[in-house]
Amino acid sequence: MGEFKVHRVRFFDYMPSAIRTMAFNSQTERLAVARADGAVEIFNFNDNFFQEKVIPGQDGRATEALCWVGHRLFSAGLNGEITEYDLENLRPQYTVDAYGGPIWTISSNSQGTQLAVGCEDGTVKIFAILEERIQFQRNLNRHKGRIISLCWHPSSAQIAAGMTDMITIFDAETGHATRRLLVDRAMGASKNKEVVVWSVGYLSDHTIISGDSAGKVQIWNGLTGTLVRTYLVTKWDVLVLSVSKDESSVIAGTSEGTVIQFQFISSTMDQHDKEWVRTRTFRNHSHDVSALAHTDTAVVSGGMDTQLVVRPLLDKVEKNTQESALRKIAFPHRSLVGCAKKAGLLLFQFPDRLELWKLGESEGHGKPGDRLPVKRKPEKLIELKRKGEDHICCSALSACGGWLAYSTVSSVRLYRIQYNNTISINKVSKLPKELRSVHQLCFSSDSSKLFASSCQSSVIVVAVSQQECRYLHTLKHKTGSRQPVHLLCASDDGKWLATANTDCEIHIYNLHKMKLHCMVPVYNSCPTTIAIHPVTNNLISVHADQQIFEFSLVQKEYTQWSRRLQAQGLLSLWLERDTPITHITFNPKNPDHIILHDTYMFCIIDQSLPFPELNAVLWNQMTLKSLPVSQRIGQSHAFKICKSFQHLMCVSLLEDLSLVVVERPLLDIMSQLPAPVRQKKFAT
Amino acid sequence: MAKKQRGKASSSSKTVDIEKPAESFTLSLESSDDEAPEEVTFEDSKAEALRSMKQALDTARREKQLLKERRRKRQELFQEQKKRKLLSADVLEQIDSASSKKQKLSEDEGEQEEKPEKEEGDGKKKKKKKRSGKLANARNLKGKYTVTTVKERTLASFQQQVAEEFIRSRLYGPGTCRTTNNEMLSLQNKKGWNKSAAVQFVKKDWASKEKAKAEKLKKRWLHKQQLPSC
Repeated sequence: MGEFKVHRVRFFDYMPSAIRTMAFNSQTERLAVARADGAVEIFNFNDNFFQEKVIPGQDGRATEALCWVGHRLFSAGLNGEITEYDLENLRPQYTVDAYGGPIWTISSNSQGTQLAVGCEDGTVKIFAILEERIQFQRNLNRHKGRIISLCWHPSSAQIAAGMTDMITIFDAETGHATRRLLVDRAMGASKNKEVVVWSVGYLSDHTIISGDSAGKVQIWNGLTGTLVRTYLVTKWDVLVLSVSKDESSVIAGTSEGTVIQFQFISSTMDQHDKEWVRTRTFRNHSHDVSALAHTDTAVVSGGMDTQLVVRPLLDKVEKNTQESALRKIAFPHRSLVGCAKKAGLLLFQFPDRLELWKLGESEGHGKPGDRLPVKRKPEKLIELKRKGEDHICCSALSACGGWLAYSTVSSVRLYRIQYNNTISINKVSKLPKELRSVHQLCFSSDSSKLFASSCQSSVIVVAVSQQECRYLHTLKHKTGSRQPVHLLCASDDGKWLATANTDCEIHIYNLHKMKLHCMVPVYNSCPTTIAIHPVTNNLISVHADQQIFEFSLVQKEYTQWSRRLQAQGLLSLWLERDTPITHITFNPKNPDHIILHDTYMFCIIDQSLPFPELNAVLWNQMTLKSLPVSQRIGQSHAFKICKSFQHLMCVSLLEDLSLVVVERPLLDIMSQLPAPVRQKKFAT
Repeated sequence: MAKKQRGKASSSSKTVDIEKPAESFTLSLESSDDEAPEEVTFEDSKAEALRSMKQALDTARREKQLLKERRRKRQELFQEQKKRKLLSADVLEQIDSASSKKQKLSEDEGEQEEKPEKEEGDGKKKKKKKRSGKLANARNLKGKYTVTTVKERTLASFQQQVAEEFIRSRLYGPGTCRTTNNEMLSLQNKKGWNKSAAVQFVKKDWASKEKAKAEKLKKRWLHKQQLPSC
């Protein structure tokens, strides 16, 4: 197979941002997650929980609440603005200032005609949702104290608003407060501390469910204004509540990291005396749970530990299947590391800066498993901070290391780097005006052209040279899809360019003729990574459901190898992996090798070897090592998987045939999170 | 008994009535329960009621007047205090006129300064000096300076900071029992299936000088080792 010298890189200080809030759209089965830095991520629940779209954040946006209205996504934050997002161009479409101070919560009524926001100054403002915008309608009566949470009644006639020490029920027509429900403060020492009602839910039978900072979940009768039941679930705060669509189940998230489920069931066999009973407790987080979504079959939670956890409910799905598995999404589903193969440089993309590192060198040889002494340490060459408030959306480094480009939602910047005795970096000013809202960037392999994907899945080709940056051409496709391109790759010989968009379409462009060459047949799962083989010019694509395809660009059809793989079928252990493949690279010495990686393993697929049988062992590297060389041929199959490096962010092969493995252990991320609660456990 | 009950009001009975209460006080101990209740005539009780009403009205009116007086006095006191605080009227006038003049001048200066900033040329400095000659009261600021607009978000960001401070103090402020990540991970190690040692977070920049010295010594030693061999 091969021996590789491995550069084990652990100096990428990637730190994800805490999940602040989330909203699930049951029509489109998409989950929108807002992070503390203002970024919004869209996950497709139909497609193996793939992270389809990422809208980069902005300094000061401080998103506190998200809301879906049909296919439109609105968010409101502590900067006092309501933002509507353009999901086709991955940017905020417009912002409306509510003029009420910081906004704590946003919610739409069931018809989707009005939007209510709760503000710092104690008013609930109603906005009318129009075709392309929202318009302020009126304020409800103003109250003393900030409105932290609110919820519409399903009939859109009343709004329940949670404030400090009480819950107020407003009549949505007149704006008057009809009822006031007083919430008890915590017992004991914190009697003096006001209780904040962090979340409310309003059911159609006028039951109000509230979660507050004293750790209680309370169930009220909204018609009479009386308390029905109190559950003290935690010593800390109950930060968030979510009601299921059929209103039979409510989940509450706490600061302890637990998610507690309450169900409306009856204790006897006949269905008459139903009441709210605490049923399950999920402990999937180590830090505060600040966002919850209750889908039909699962409980989705996220919080300060930055991981998104999907827990299917075992009474809704079949046990012991792939559907019922717990899913934890901790790393982004796209590559944040760029590698210049010829120069041995790595580019790390952070939301606020880019870092360019030169890999170290070692000397000597060793047996597999040895650690070689490091002759020259890796050093950080450039740290480039972004200009402006918008976070970095994408970045690219040319293969020779001489060009660096990054883009935000408002601008694109291109830099020329020169390596004499010292490093010098110069910004290329006067970029073509077509380079505006760019989602993906890619340099050609000879560093003469820059490809940028723009709106409506078009690609802008720009020539870069010492003197200037000149616009060459815009490549467009014919399907009429308006979804953004999330993958872009150019072939090594400079003839082909492949793009993939979130409508699962892969388009191939011929760069010599500058027009569309063909489109790969659409597969119903979104591609997570694509790459063009340098020798055979075949396009390898891996999709979110872990299927692998190989498409010949010259002949415009799937290759024989790909057809054989589909006929045989991939092993279930391969298909049940829960992190997507994010990068493909090739071996210059051996054209049969395809090197892929996901978060927990990297794999070399040898196209000359047979596929594993259905009952074969997928991870057979250890057994093969124990066999003598002559017997190995019989047992080996095409998938060679290595799991020695964990939490991979990127695996790449340099020109000198050494492997670069960029790791980010989860423990390093966990050590830098904010403080968790102190739990006194027995015998500690 | 029935004849005496009502209607018959004679002066004698009145006087008797007036005296009777006095008597009844002294005789209360001796009087028995057999005595008939006192007879109060209708007119008497009417007069009594009218009197008490008048009294009530009087007291209310008096109270209102007292309150008015008190309020008036307090208002006067405040006016006086206010007058004392402010400077005398003529001084105020002078300052007012001076400040309005200054404002106008500074605005003019600002406008004129912006214009030459937009042009790019060597005549900048000369132009500034000329203008300063015209406006006698303007201050002469030396050196190059640029005029930029202030970001209008100061008030909004202050409110945002207050809101963020609110969340931070509710979740992480005093009174919330929080611990460190180190402790949480160490406890997990202690209670896990494979019990292991407490987690120690390494400070990467600790003893950097000593580490650099050690590196140099190591290199020197390696070099020395290689010398006799080659």
